[in-house]
Amino acid sequence: MSSWETTMKEPDFGAQASSNERRIQVSLTGTADLTVKNQLERFLRDVHAEAQRSLAEEVTVDVRQLEFMNSSCLKCFVWWISTVQEQTGDGKYRITFVSSPSVYWQRRSLNALACLANDIITIQA
Amino acid sequence: MTELRVPMPEGPTLSFGLQIQPQSRMVSIVRRFVEESFEKLVGDPEAVFRVSLAVHELLENAAKYAVGDKTGLTVHFESNGSAARIKLTNQTTPEHIERLRACIAEIQSSKEPFALYQTLMRRTFGVPDESGLGLARIRAEGELDLSLEIDGTMVTITASCLSAQRQGHE
Repeated sequence: MSSWETTMKEPDFGAQASSNERRIQVSLTGTADLTVKNQLERFLRDVHAEAQRSLAEEVTVDVRQLEFMNSSCLKCFVWWISTVQEQTGDGKYRITFVSSPSVYWQRRSLNALACLANDIITIQA
Repeated sequence: MTELRVPMPEGPTLSFGLQIQPQSRMVSIVRRFVEESFEKLVGDPEAVFRVSLAVHELLENAAKYAVGDKTGLTVHFESNGSAARIKLTNQTTPEHIERLRACIAEIQSSKEPFALYQTLMRRTFGVPDESGLGLARIRAEGELDLSLEIDGTMVTITASCLSAQRQGHE
């Protein structure tokens, strides 16, 4: 049973997250572009806050249904990854992206994100 | 007001030109149109993705920084897949022109586009305004060359490559 949940729904973008013990599951769908950048930023701040509160070991981000992400939204992820990387001890957690090989932006963009922090990021295809 | 004319390429190309209002809600609509149209005509979905990525990032730049209500976009593939070119023309402010000039010069002079992209990611993630990350992404992820033409307050950014299909498979 989930102990924490949050959901965001925009006309062309959706995000939801839930936690169970020390793991957080995030799912993103639709298109992450300029129209939802501020909402995504708030969402990732909420996820990080919950990860810190629950001393999460891992956050899994399923982007298989995310059609596209623009550079402004990628910057939100860079902020999140950089913030996690700066944590020490129990505050640090792994981030695993679950991707789809048939969604072409994912291989190149997720690789770019992973290169920022190979020690905490894993990509599953 | 200056009329934006969208020049159409001649020769054996798959191409189109659009004049649109530079609004953020239009960006993903046009990107999908590009993807869905060219996927049916060009047999390399990754090459199509690289072009649609450039279309998206360039149009978002226009949505954020264009002055006036018109943006001209042309996209074309050579029919044999030997080249691709995306051109975006709009009016903007002198301040933005200077930032564009510096940003594209930095990208053009970089021998390591992916390394520059990573540097810009780290440098700009806390910067709310213009960062140039979208243009660096076109160069690094899209593997497209960038150039800038300036005519008064009118700017044209061109993203192009000689072999979209071949590079897409590397």
